Amino acid sequence: MWIVDSAYRDGGVDLWTKDGTVSKVHHDYNPPFFIHFHDPPAHHEMIDALEERYGLEECTIRTIFGDLQGYSVYAGRDVAEAIEQQAQSDVQLFNVDVRRDQRFMAEKGFFPCGAGNDSRYSPEFLHDLNLIELKVHDNPALSSACSDVEVMCGYTERLTGQPNDVLADLFSLVGSLDPDVILMPDADTWLPRIQKEAQKHGLAMPFSRNGKYRQMDARSYWSYGRMEHKESALIPDGRILIDTEQSFVYQEGGLEGVLMAARLSGLPPNLASRFTPGTLISSYEVYEAVKLGIAVPFRKSDPEMIRHISRLQAADRGGMMFQPVPGIYENVEEIDFTSMYPSIIVKANLSPETIGHPDRAGFLPAALKPLLDLRITTKRLKKTDPRFAGIDSILKWMLVTCFGYTGYKNAKFGRIELHEGITGRSRDILIRTKDIAEEMGFTVLHGIVDCLWVQGSAVEMLKQNVENEIEILTEIEHFNWIVFLPQADGSGAYNRYFGRLRDGSVKVRGIAARRHDTPEIVRTMQGKMLEVMAGAGSIAALNDKEEEIRSIFSETARCLPASDKKALVINRRISRLTYAHRCLEGAAVKVYRDRGIEIAPGMKIGYIVREARRYSVDTEWDAAVFDIPYYQALLEKAWKEIAFAFRTPPLRGYPVEQKLPDACQAIICQ
Amino acid sequence: MLIELRKGMTLHPGTFNAVIAPVTVMVSALNSNTDLQRFLFLYVSGNYSRLLSSVSRSSRTFEVRRAFTAHQLFTILKEVSHTVVLVEHDPTLFEGAETMIPQIAGMLKEVGRESLVVLYAPSTDPSFSLLMRQADHIIEIAPADDITGTAPYRSSRSSRNDGPVPCAQRTLEVS
Repeated sequence: MWIVDSAYRDGGVDLWTKDGTVSKVHHDYNPPFFIHFHDPPAHHEMIDALEERYGLEECTIRTIFGDLQGYSVYAGRDVAEAIEQQAQSDVQLFNVDVRRDQRFMAEKGFFPCGAGNDSRYSPEFLHDLNLIELKVHDNPALSSACSDVEVMCGYTERLTGQPNDVLADLFSLVGSLDPDVILMPDADTWLPRIQKEAQKHGLAMPFSRNGKYRQMDARSYWSYGRMEHKESALIPDGRILIDTEQSFVYQEGGLEGVLMAARLSGLPPNLASRFTPGTLISSYEVYEAVKLGIAVPFRKSDPEMIRHISRLQAADRGGMMFQPVPGIYENVEEIDFTSMYPSIIVKANLSPETIGHPDRAGFLPAALKPLLDLRITTKRLKKTDPRFAGIDSILKWMLVTCFGYTGYKNAKFGRIELHEGITGRSRDILIRTKDIAEEMGFTVLHGIVDCLWVQGSAVEMLKQNVENEIEILTEIEHFNWIVFLPQADGSGAYNRYFGRLRDGSVKVRGIAARRHDTPEIVRTMQGKMLEVMAGAGSIAALNDKEEEIRSIFSETARCLPASDKKALVINRRISRLTYAHRCLEGAAVKVYRDRGIEIAPGMKIGYIVREARRYSVDTEWDAAVFDIPYYQALLEKAWKEIAFAFRTPPLRGYPVEQKLPDACQAIICQ
Repeated sequence: MLIELRKGMTLHPGTFNAVIAPVTVMVSALNSNTDLQRFLFLYVSGNYSRLLSSVSRSSRTFEVRRAFTAHQLFTILKEVSHTVVLVEHDPTLFEGAETMIPQIAGMLKEVGRESLVVLYAPSTDPSFSLLMRQADHIIEIAPADDITGTAPYRSSRSSRNDGPVPCAQRTLEVS
């Protein structure tokens, strides 16, 4: 019984399973939520009323902090919220907002995208899903109807013509192919429009296997300090539909990554592909809790402990950084801890209930341990088999966010003291690693949270010593040369560098080629420069390539006036719709609105700068001219990042055996 | 035990006070009052505090507790046993938890029967406006540069009512 999809409908859970063909099985399921009154006699009238109306039953509620006496109530969230309101928060509620299909599967030991005898933590899993790809070639910003659709299903078919004819052909093709998976760029934008058009022309949309769709609302939200936007979506029953353009999980992990995310989180793949890694890790924790019979709290009502102001300021710091001296360095080793934060959680037994009770076995470490072990396995496997790269990437993201989630205000199994405890230990680890390296004669050039860059010999011994003492696995990467870039004030930037690895590839962080808002012309130019630089195995060889690299800049700048406008588009994620000051982003928002295109905070929009001084921009499809000096300046800025490698003679070819005076300064980042 | 916000403007124990004032005024009121060090003082903030980094750390009785959700704030107020409780308002706590506002306002009022409770914000917002309805005193102090007319400061209350722009401190007694 390989579960393709799940949904809660009609008082039960629909499981869509594949065993040759896909079929639906309905399981009646009406789970209760749990309620614990701090002072039950004070609420006896409510208890009586609940018993009369919903069949209240006394029960013991198992929480991560211990058992509570309470009641199970066979009712929905609306009743839970009414209880909460009436009891003036003198009550604790559990399992109110756990998805019912997820809860059903966790209780029964099932999971999506797997069969009953599979292990959820196996890096290899089989499936025989048949897949098609759909691509609508019309511009979703300008057109609401599909007149040009490409279908890839072993062969490619292009459907063009009047929208009603195209849809009729498309529906017929999808119906006859009956795929399990549809990959479609901008699916969440197109599907509601297609549904509307289909209704207009009396056509039955065949994307759902039973004609039913679930609706996900659009929303804008803050995540890691930036505004994000999630489109509304129509989720078909019984079939996996992935918006390949919008799905972060798909873009990072491909189909295998989506399926693994579904297996671990207990969410159907349609949802797993649309959720963020943070939601996936929290769903994973919820699934694990339900599986273990632990109740999931509805509200986050346990605040941090009272602290003296000086203790708070000492504890509430972020990861450690060692600021580099900007320049170019030869023969540098990067020592990187594998999943440092989750490893700390597991190793130090950090969980909300172990704060002040370190001897108690924590829920969070127990839940994360198999995930961490799986990541260590996939990280090893992907080096020889690229099939595991997608799964590894999803695991990496889930484990990265599991740390941040411990401090998230609505985390079901988080606490701010836990978050602080993890960063505190990480600081100790980085400082100790630096000490170990220096004791062995290495020069420490730079460090960021879980990574250290050093110069010296016997790096394998350093790795061994660090792993023996810290008890967290590490990875070593050797740079033939590496450039640490400066900040505006001339001091070393923490996260802007590029360098050549031993295998001839170039690792790049924080420069134009990596930034999302860099126009293609700039990205391509820097990419070409880095490609040439990748051919230099030493600083001396790199110096010989300076003229060749400079000529890439000159040539790009020379050809700029004749550039294709597509290469000039600046893609920005808008954080708001109204701007107090004039700026290009604000001008772009106005242009889109004038065009009648619906936009929301967190959305990505693209524009071409017509005249920067006057804050004039155009959409890609309207642009006729562009501001040449503005784009010239962008090219120059990108060139300067690269050219910095040729402008720092004092550190060039820095001898390995010599120690750098004040090579780096320790900084604690928030 | 009193907190003097400005000369002649003091906050008394056994009251719930809503204060809208520039950060500098609050920092100065906290740092200059040596008397505060004799009493148990609880500072409650949200995820981010405008004041904490400027408050003197020398006081041994100055304690801090942060609330990241409205429910956590409610729990903190329920458990409080300090002489002075200063709550730095964080409107994000009430996003999606608007139903908690009346309960928290009631709890602030209740705690204010025994302690000196200050609900502080540098400017008003919809949730602050609802919370302060239960306050015994509402105190609004305009920024100094507004008094000289250099900054177009308007509180949301006054602008909503289209009333006059506050030009100096003002105190409103609420029964």
